[in-house]
Amino acid sequence: MTEQTAVTERTDGSGNHPWILETVAVSKRYVRDGRPLHVLDRVSLGVREGEFVSVVGPSGSGKSTLFRLIGGVERPDEGSIRIAGRDVTGRRGFISYMPQQPSLFPWLTVRQNIASALVIAGIDRKRAAALAAEWLERIGLGDTAGAYPDELSGGMKQRVSFLRALLMPRDVMCLDEPFAALDALTRTRMQAWLLEQWEAHRRTVLLVTHSIEEAILLSDRIYVLGGSPTTVRRVISVPLPRPRRPDVWNDPAFGRLREEILALLGRSGGRDD
Amino acid sequence: MGGNRWRRALPPAAAVAGALLLWQAACAALDVPAWLLPDPWSIALYMAEEAELLFGHLAFTLGLALRGMLLGVAAGVVCAFLFHALPGVRAAFSPLLVASQNIPLIALGPLLMIWFGFGLLPKMILLVLVCFFPVAWSMLAGLGQSEPQLREYLAMIGASRLQTFFRLELPASLPYFFAGLKLTATYSFSTAVVAEWLGSGRGIGYFLVLQSEGYKTKGVFASIFCIVACSLLLYGLAALAEHWGLKRLRMGGSRAKGSGKA
Repeated sequence: MTEQTAVTERTDGSGNHPWILETVAVSKRYVRDGRPLHVLDRVSLGVREGEFVSVVGPSGSGKSTLFRLIGGVERPDEGSIRIAGRDVTGRRGFISYMPQQPSLFPWLTVRQNIASALVIAGIDRKRAAALAAEWLERIGLGDTAGAYPDELSGGMKQRVSFLRALLMPRDVMCLDEPFAALDALTRTRMQAWLLEQWEAHRRTVLLVTHSIEEAILLSDRIYVLGGSPTTVRRVISVPLPRPRRPDVWNDPAFGRLREEILALLGRSGGRDD
Repeated sequence: MGGNRWRRALPPAAAVAGALLLWQAACAALDVPAWLLPDPWSIALYMAEEAELLFGHLAFTLGLALRGMLLGVAAGVVCAFLFHALPGVRAAFSPLLVASQNIPLIALGPLLMIWFGFGLLPKMILLVLVCFFPVAWSMLAGLGQSEPQLREYLAMIGASRLQTFFRLELPASLPYFFAGLKLTATYSFSTAVVAEWLGSGRGIGYFLVLQSEGYKTKGVFASIFCIVACSLLLYGLAALAEHWGLKRLRMGGSRAKGSGKA
């Protein structure tokens, strides 16, 4: 299954649409405490190749559920998930993933952690180890290759976690609030670092966050979610030029965008809380 | 670190020495006859005299206990894997397994002798039955208790059931495995003694029966000391294996203690 993902079929018969990742009118309901809970209502979003797309929404707006659907860990009640033109609804192994907690294995070294994930993605053992070592060096973490996760700071752990996701040979990287657990200063630094890394590699990324600034800084487009059940409120193209620098928040467009998204979230936030 | 360890060993060592002294003094002061309760010093002399005989019996029992433990632990691990992989099997057989642990050894032992004779087989069955359970039970608990975040991560990147087992569940269950191993080590030697007691021509259990039937109290006490020492030895070995194994996996309790001190 993993080999199939590596060789992406662009010219699939189902259409030459430019989306790498697409959720098509995805709905999800749960039953909680005996009462039905409608989480997502016909959420459609897409990420093009080499595009950085963010999903922002108030907490509890089903962002994590959306990711679990994309990852194939859960099935939507309606709608479908398409990756590289194929229907992958309810199927796993098509995305690489960076969770909110670094989720590094405490009994493996940094290098082994990365290599282990690459092996799961179908890369052979030797090549995985070599790739991990080479890239740790390349992003300036060569010294930590033999260290264990509990010897690293929170920010370093997330860099390793990001590299692990970056190196997986998958069509799309899903970042699930990757900096939410970090302190404000580290978080700002990590956002700048991620921007730099993304500008260098231009992978297809879907980022879920509740930080508006983070979304604007990093994204090409932003899906603003809201309401209960959650729907897509608006899709916003970020007009800031690439390559971007971390001080882009000085740009007046940044402030206007921020206000716009805040207003959108404010409308839905009131009802949620 | 070294000094600390000695300081920690001091109170229990002092307590044991105190108890022995008290015993010695009581025997002398109350003039207790040796056939009723021998004093520690004469037991020690007896053990030194009969060292060769005792060692011979002990070596036999230790061999029996170790083999039984090895088989029992292997059976326990296999059983834990099986139950973990097949919840249906687990549901069907776990009540039976718990029940098997409640059959008194002194009832089961003679039955096994009737069925399988006086050879090695019935003793091994008895030992395996006792030794496999703590390992199976605690490891089974461990296999189901790995970090939910790591489980979710593996699910999201599409790890297979087998990959999840080898990369997460198995390593995460090792602290539980060692907890079970320590319990097993504690039981194995005394179970071997019981097995010999029920029918054997060698071993410290056999020697114990001979001594008690002849009202040779000194011999009985010598056997008891030997049995306790060997049980402690096996427990110590298991604890050492745990320390070493968990340190390598960076999940040992000793590490947590170490960082507290530093």
